[in-house]
Amino acid sequence: MKSKRSIAFCFAAGLLLIAIPISAHHGTSGYDMEKVITLNGTVTIFNWSNPHCLIHIDVKDSKGDMKDWILELAAPTLMTRNGWTKDSLKPGDEVVAETHPAKNGATTGLSGASTSLLKFVVNGHALPFH
Amino acid sequence: MPCYTTRLLIILAAASIFSSVSHGQTVAPTPSAKEQAAPEVAHVPDFSGSWAVVGGAPSWDPSDPRGAKPDELPMTPWALERFKAARPPFGANATFDAVNDPVQKYCDPPGITRLYAYPWQFALIQAPGVVYMLYEFTGLWRPIWLDREHPKSPDSTWMGDSIGRYEGDTLVVDTIGLNDKTWIDQVGHPHSDALHLIERFRRVDQDILEVTVTFDDPKAYTKPFTGKRVFKRSSSPMEVTLCSLSEMQSFDDEVMKSTTVTPKK
Repeated sequence: MKSKRSIAFCFAAGLLLIAIPISAHHGTSGYDMEKVITLNGTVTIFNWSNPHCLIHIDVKDSKGDMKDWILELAAPTLMTRNGWTKDSLKPGDEVVAETHPAKNGATTGLSGASTSLLKFVVNGHALPFH
Repeated sequence: MPCYTTRLLIILAAASIFSSVSHGQTVAPTPSAKEQAAPEVAHVPDFSGSWAVVGGAPSWDPSDPRGAKPDELPMTPWALERFKAARPPFGANATFDAVNDPVQKYCDPPGITRLYAYPWQFALIQAPGVVYMLYEFTGLWRPIWLDREHPKSPDSTWMGDSIGRYEGDTLVVDTIGLNDKTWIDQVGHPHSDALHLIERFRRVDQDILEVTVTFDDPKAYTKPFTGKRVFKRSSSPMEVTLCSLSEMQSFDDEVMKSTTVTPKK
């Protein structure tokens, strides 16, 4: 698997450790980790809680219908270490968000894990990402 | 009493006090037998700090840390049956929504060795006679007793009975008395209540901690095996991330159920 964010560490002892996008409490096999899409929309809910912070974004699809996209991030403690706060997003914010979309076509996506965080531009300003 | 006698008594009393004080200051008290037998304080390595995992290794199989071939870890028939029934969140047999992962489904304690796989920190608090290991994830902790042996018949518990000793720059921890309700790692490898763990903590330098774990479980594995993890000292203070069933259920309803992937088996 070649994740966009995969990083390899080689230690002098010869131990190879590969950073895997660990979602932490559950796996990532429901999402297409090889693909990143970009969504333009308006934040309706920013849920800063365990097990994963969630962002609800109203996004117009290709037909012009409004869809509720739910983007999953890491747990609050881990997001804090990524430089986010519970106030990084709020309802009404205009956002351009990257996400790994659900494989089955559901309007859900994985945008943040312990070792990877995709890009969010909120009202024209980028939040920390890596 | 005549006046000069009183003065003499006062002088003698003062002299006596002065003498005893000066005697006490110039002659050391005889040490007790216990004090004489007390050994010199041995060097105790310093494990202070918050430790965060480096990289991701979902499997404890030393030849397959990523869990690409988890069934190749040499298991007994007993363990293989349990492994086949597992639907873990990571590794080659990963499933997304249909897991029977005890942590994900029930907020069960992850177990000592699986805790090393999560992206949360731990700390070792060294006190006389005991080391307390504190884990951010699910708020768990365990004592590692330095001044006793294992009980003859320990209970089977989630965290087991841990004893330890310092060997040079290494803390060696011996654990038995673990129940069999946890997975040893994120890919669903089981263990029995006969599991005997040896963990070795060694601080390589100021910012790197190596933890080597040997699994000895004849009921589950045909031979012992040893894996290693590396941790980096974190500047983030320790914080607890609890596991709440109601929050897990809410997340399951909101995200997991709509993001389904048919299990491979």
